[in-house]
Amino acid sequence: MKIKKAVITAAGPTQQHLPLQTLVSPNGTTKTVVAFILDEIFASGIESAAIVIAPGTEKAFSSAVANHLDKVVFIEQSAPQGYGHAILCARDFTANDPFLVMMGDHLYLSFAKESCVRQLLNFASQANGPVSAVQPTHESKLPFYGTVAGSPVRGIQGLYEVSDIIEKPTPTIAEQELIVPGLRSGSYLCFFGIHVLTAPVMEYLDQAFTKKGDLPLTPSLAAAAKSEKYLACEIEGLRFNIEESYGLLRAQLGMALSGEGRDEVMGYIIELIATTRS
Amino acid sequence: MLVSLITAEDPATRDRSLAEACVSLDTEGLLQECSALDAFRRTSENLYHRVRAIFFLQAIHQFHLPEKLPTSDAGSIPFDGYENLLGRQFEEAIEVFLKVQDREGPSDGICSALSSAYHQLAFQTLANQVRKSVRTVRGNQWMFRMGHPADHPLRIRHELLEQDQHRFPILCERTPVRMDLTHSAWSDIFFLGMDFPQGARVVNVSVDLAIHGHDAEPKPPVEAYFRIVDEPVLKLTSIDLKATATITSLADVFDFAKDYLGLLKAAIIASGIIPPGIEGSGKSLAELLNRLVGPNRGIEIISSVNDIPKGSRLAVSTNLLAALISACMRATGQTQSLTGELTENERRLVLARAILGEWIGGSGGGWQDSGGVWPGIKLIEGELAGETDPEQGISRGRLMPKHKVFNHEEIPNSARQALTDSLILVHGGMAQNVGPILEMVTEKYLLRSSEEWEARQEALELLDQIVTALASGNIRELGRLTTENFRGPLQTIIPWATNHFTETLIDRVSKKFGEDFWGFWMLGGMSGGGMGFIVEPSRKQEALNIIHAIMIQTKRELENALPFAMDPVVYDFAINPHGTFGQIHHGDEALLPPPYYHLALADTLRTPPEKLSPTTRAELDQFARACRTKSIFSSSVESLFETLIPHTDDDANGDNSLSKLLAKNGFDQRQHEQIRKDLFEGRIGLAQNRLPPTTLIKDVSPADITDFTRSDSTKDLVVGEQALANGEVGIITLAAGAGSRWTQGAGVCKALHPFARLRGRHRTFIETHLGKSRKRGLEAGSTIPHVFTTSYLTHQPTRQFLDNVEDYHYPGSLHLSQGRSVGLRMIPTVSDLRFAWEEMPQQVLDEQQQKMRDSVRSSLLNWAQSTGESNDYTDNLPLQCLHPVGHFYEVPNLLLNGTLADLLTDRPQLKTLMLHNIDTLGADVDPALLGHHLASKTGLTFEVITRRLEDRGGGLASIEGRPRLLEGLAMPREEDEFILSYYNSMTTWIDIDKLLGLFGLTRDDILARDERKILAGIRKVASTLPTYITLKEVKKRWGHGQEDVFPVTQFEKLWGDLTTLSGIDSKFIIVPRSRGQQLKDPSQLDAWLRDGSADHIESLCEW
Repeated sequence: MKIKKAVITAAGPTQQHLPLQTLVSPNGTTKTVVAFILDEIFASGIESAAIVIAPGTEKAFSSAVANHLDKVVFIEQSAPQGYGHAILCARDFTANDPFLVMMGDHLYLSFAKESCVRQLLNFASQANGPVSAVQPTHESKLPFYGTVAGSPVRGIQGLYEVSDIIEKPTPTIAEQELIVPGLRSGSYLCFFGIHVLTAPVMEYLDQAFTKKGDLPLTPSLAAAAKSEKYLACEIEGLRFNIEESYGLLRAQLGMALSGEGRDEVMGYIIELIATTRS
Repeated sequence: MLVSLITAEDPATRDRSLAEACVSLDTEGLLQECSALDAFRRTSENLYHRVRAIFFLQAIHQFHLPEKLPTSDAGSIPFDGYENLLGRQFEEAIEVFLKVQDREGPSDGICSALSSAYHQLAFQTLANQVRKSVRTVRGNQWMFRMGHPADHPLRIRHELLEQDQHRFPILCERTPVRMDLTHSAWSDIFFLGMDFPQGARVVNVSVDLAIHGHDAEPKPPVEAYFRIVDEPVLKLTSIDLKATATITSLADVFDFAKDYLGLLKAAIIASGIIPPGIEGSGKSLAELLNRLVGPNRGIEIISSVNDIPKGSRLAVSTNLLAALISACMRATGQTQSLTGELTENERRLVLARAILGEWIGGSGGGWQDSGGVWPGIKLIEGELAGETDPEQGISRGRLMPKHKVFNHEEIPNSARQALTDSLILVHGGMAQNVGPILEMVTEKYLLRSSEEWEARQEALELLDQIVTALASGNIRELGRLTTENFRGPLQTIIPWATNHFTETLIDRVSKKFGEDFWGFWMLGGMSGGGMGFIVEPSRKQEALNIIHAIMIQTKRELENALPFAMDPVVYDFAINPHGTFGQIHHGDEALLPPPYYHLALADTLRTPPEKLSPTTRAELDQFARACRTKSIFSSSVESLFETLIPHTDDDANGDNSLSKLLAKNGFDQRQHEQIRKDLFEGRIGLAQNRLPPTTLIKDVSPADITDFTRSDSTKDLVVGEQALANGEVGIITLAAGAGSRWTQGAGVCKALHPFARLRGRHRTFIETHLGKSRKRGLEAGSTIPHVFTTSYLTHQPTRQFLDNVEDYHYPGSLHLSQGRSVGLRMIPTVSDLRFAWEEMPQQVLDEQQQKMRDSVRSSLLNWAQSTGESNDYTDNLPLQCLHPVGHFYEVPNLLLNGTLADLLTDRPQLKTLMLHNIDTLGADVDPALLGHHLASKTGLTFEVITRRLEDRGGGLASIEGRPRLLEGLAMPREEDEFILSYYNSMTTWIDIDKLLGLFGLTRDDILARDERKILAGIRKVASTLPTYITLKEVKKRWGHGQEDVFPVTQFEKLWGDLTTLSGIDSKFIIVPRSRGQQLKDPSQLDAWLRDGSADHIESLCEW
């Protein structure tokens, strides 16, 4: 399965401005969050991307995507109706093709030679259905993530066949339904924020859309898991949710400490610790 | 050979009874089997193999070995082994006892020690496994891992956080209770379900209840409420217990006995709101609530049980726990839906959490008890452990049973209606501790005692028949079957499942309704509390009132003999079709039950309005509005007013007031004040009871004692028979005590307790003692005068009872000797409480129970301090505040109250009295013993028996070369008691003239009834005897069958100390254990029945 398209959601009420924030990359260049994301996906072989934005924000996003403007289309989500709906807005763009989904307020830092997106696309290239990036996550973080149940695919380290997905489960439910063999107790496979989805998932989203209330993504993924082979792959990397408290700072520190500015930033931190008082 | 009974695959071998296998083995053979079993249990991987081997070892040492040993071989019990037992180091204790057995050979004493150690080890092993299984149930595990508020993975559902004019919504969970339709033959004990899942089956019905004649219609009796509050605390209220607390620290959440809110705390923990893993973390509750609910927010939880008392056998507390857990789980998103019924998976999880909650709270329910969570009628069965279960390889069955809810085709509506139309559900008013019964059942099951094993199979067959009868709506047949179950298998397994009260009720209902009485239905545990009577439907309305009247009347007749916690009640009931059910109330409808406001608003109203939070003000407004507009709030203002202004006690000046009782019963105020002063100043107390530590305590030598079990008694027999024939002997039975151990402080007359079935019916202690005297009298061709000593507590009830039974038609003279002295209990001193709990050896309990006990004790220390050490104890029923002053006084009372004068007038030839305790059932006027006493020309002959582990509280000692009885209270060191081979049975043969001589009196003084001279003589002797300070537990009853137990201080002078006096000579004689054994605790009854003691007593009696 060759993945050429990507959908980036950036229309949520709190997301509208975050992708426009700037950060210093590990190699010292300064760019916007959305540019980081686009750099990573186009470097991984994606050929075109749709950014789902809130009405009236296209101008700001156009200036923020830097030199990728020719490969990007903007799709307006007229009202915030959930993450699933944001993706559904790009249905015309994705047509019947499989596509990569990313969130405009998340950044990724890979521990491997290849970027986080590339790692996912590598797995997806061997698959014929949806593939979600996941990471083993401590149960105390369950209130924040969609969590999958699955069994390891024999012979391929870090790849799982998904049997169920529950959005933000309690540990009580997780312990009963989401235990994955091989993981440490109290750890579950939680979504990493990057997926490769297929046309049937769009179909499920469309069927579930009622115009009233939010349309989440997870139930449609759970439906896909029941009807087609749905895989989850472990990604070697870190995710930064810049929407969280200090999220942008943490993302910046992560970038800086993994690049040329490491010593300089560590120096700042030590100096701050030494001179500030709580 | 015996190991093969455990390991055999073939059920015929595996289910063979131990008793049968032991019959052919001699002492040596039994010891060899014990060695093999002990080696096997140490190495076996399989839990139930291990436990069964341990129970075999217990039974062999309790029943089979002792009967093959010579009766007077006392043997020693090492103190360090005993200490290990107290410390729950059972393995170490067994090692110590086995070494002694190897070195000195088997003895009755060491057998009792080993039996006790194996017994406790077996239950510890089983309990540990249940706990481990509870923790490993999926859905429960994470709660034990979470140790920091920042890791809390739960969040309150947003619906509960949405305020409406400063009012948070209220989540309400209503839960039915459960009735056990078949009585499960106690197969719902976890241990049984886990070893014998195919035998663990019950049919269990969820019911709504109403008190007949009091409530309008049945409704779920258990309610739990949950809401958010605007401060970072946990507010807990139990409406029925009238208790409320605001908790601000995590440590207080885990302090279960600090208040009456332990069940609510257990629910908060077991539901994961405060996960058990965070106990002891030292973290802040506010920080955790911040994570869970949001900044400056907290949680309020309220429980309510609508008028069902404790002991109802309807699993009220487990279902309340389940209701609370359900509400907490809904509120934290652990169920799919915030309201409505639960899914099957969620019900199972609530069950697992309720089991966990019961363990955390230190209580224990059966595995069917959360049945109210499920709807309607269901079959609950044990399940084999599967490959993925944590129990796999450890036990055959899973911890959690499976529930099959019968649909309306399997049990049609007409059959359900027929059941409702015929069944009368009642609470008889008795509240009893079923703990010992559950242990007995487990033990008998694991030993495969043949009769009980067959009964269990029979109960299983009856279950199928009961389901068939129910499904076809044949309630008459159902009644026949439940009665058969009660009469047959249940009483074969546990004879104590019934009692005199229940039998009387059945008999009276049966006589009243004849053919229209279709059957009796025992609800669970023991009878006397929750029970059912099945009648012809057209007579149900009439029967509701008649059965109520019969119960009240029977209770009145027996309330001094049996422990009742409340008056009997009759319930209306309906089968609940939902199981536990959640609702959410918003805005003006977000109201709690009226009694909540009476409790909670009293403090609020005392707070200046400007200090009230907007939420509290909104609540006050809402309450005021409800009082005006809602009928159920119509009397709330008055009730609230009553809570604000405490009312005075109307009974304070009545005839039964404490002051009048004290005056009536010879209370000595001067002596009381002196004791209080001495106590307060530390001159007397528990520590001061003891002899100086330099006192050298030794065991008696053979020269100090006569072994009556071995001596030739032919000559003595002739002398004794002659004395009996001449009418020279009388009996004094000490029956003044309330039997505090027997009823755990319930304050009834032990003498009147119909404790066991002998020759076909329940007999009281009095009847049994008279039965022996009747038989000895008949054999001697004479009658024996029999005196029962009584006290302020027992005199009137005993008199009335004996009048009712016409003195059991005893042919001889029967006297009651009323006590003439009484004490007033006092609040204990902190130093005495600390001495009792910290200095004296204590039985360590299992982990959770130990925590509960520590917490209770800490509360009691505070209670003693705040109430005033050594102050009079008056905060209870007046009779519960008095105390008898020790059995020494019971013989002087005979002199003072004229009973001895009556005896001597009636029988001038009377020469000897045999005095014994009410619970020494084997004591009778054995002519050989009487002859021995007469021949020895001794003033007092005391009977002693070889000591077993449970025989604590003193014994026969040699002090400075003189043999004497030494009370346990007076032992300089605990370990001294373990040097002593013989235990005082209290049975004493008294030479009347020599005893009178001790008091400086003669027969003429007694016959002249010279009270002043008699009193002077008694005072003189009493002053030479030590005064012991003791702590006794006293129950205070309140609410609907609730009970609190308080330690109180009292003093006593004891009979055995006469052996220290030089004015009268004392001798000691070893008698067989069957004669000297005392029945102190109902938990002894089963072994008493099994080891042949009951048969022996029966053989001594003529009824």
